[in-house]
Amino acid sequence: MSVEGTVQTLSDAGVEFVIIGGWSAILHGSALGTTYELDICVSPRADNLRRLVQALAPFHPRSRDLPTGSPFTWDEATLRKGAVLRLVTDIGMIDLVAEVTGLGSFDDVRSGSILVDAFGRRAWTLSLRSLIKAKRAAGHEKDLKALPELESLLEVEEP
Amino acid sequence: MVSRPGGKLEIVRELRALTPEEFERAAERLRNPAPGSRIEAAKKYGIDLTLLIEQLRLTPEERLRKLEQASEAARQIQGAARRCTK
Repeated sequence: MSVEGTVQTLSDAGVEFVIIGGWSAILHGSALGTTYELDICVSPRADNLRRLVQALAPFHPRSRDLPTGSPFTWDEATLRKGAVLRLVTDIGMIDLVAEVTGLGSFDDVRSGSILVDAFGRRAWTLSLRSLIKAKRAAGHEKDLKALPELESLLEVEEP
Repeated sequence: MVSRPGGKLEIVRELRALTPEEFERAAERLRNPAPGSRIEAAKKYGIDLTLLIEQLRLTPEERLRKLEQASEAARQIQGAARRCTK
């Protein structure tokens, strides 16, 4: 897997995206285990989806939710269909969402994000406060388990 | 400050490495949590706070690269284990 390759590919293509989930937690200093898929929230604007489709097409995206061999078309219409698109690509697993539970649409997510240097590019990732809000709202067991650690990191940041 | 589509300017925060002073303050808070703090609650919950200190010692980019290497190693071990059991 190459999160590096994915971040660089999307950045170089001018795709508007925000790193969320486990990789965002790692950027903030989380030490919790390993995470395989890169979770990103993408702007649903038509020009952005077009750039996203073009950027990832060379890496043969397929849906992880469909049985192997099932027909899958990688285009803007597919991107607009679902709230979450779980992909496997030649450069790793990528989960795409247009909105984040607890935060809202892409614009809400983006306004709760901060810039970070990642793999030689400037990328957006959730602020620690936004990340905690999203994990609390998601309410999944693994999200709730991450909260004590993230709350500690937030307290460490406070004056 | 960055420009957004439409020419609107906005003030943005940036995630960066801690300065030596910030790191020392953070490490001290994690080594000796204040009573009643969220850090103390995390310690009681079972979080190994020394791991956080080591993570905070790194730049955000170094944290990414460290996890990517660990994830790759884990995947290779899983692949080898699967081949052995076939």
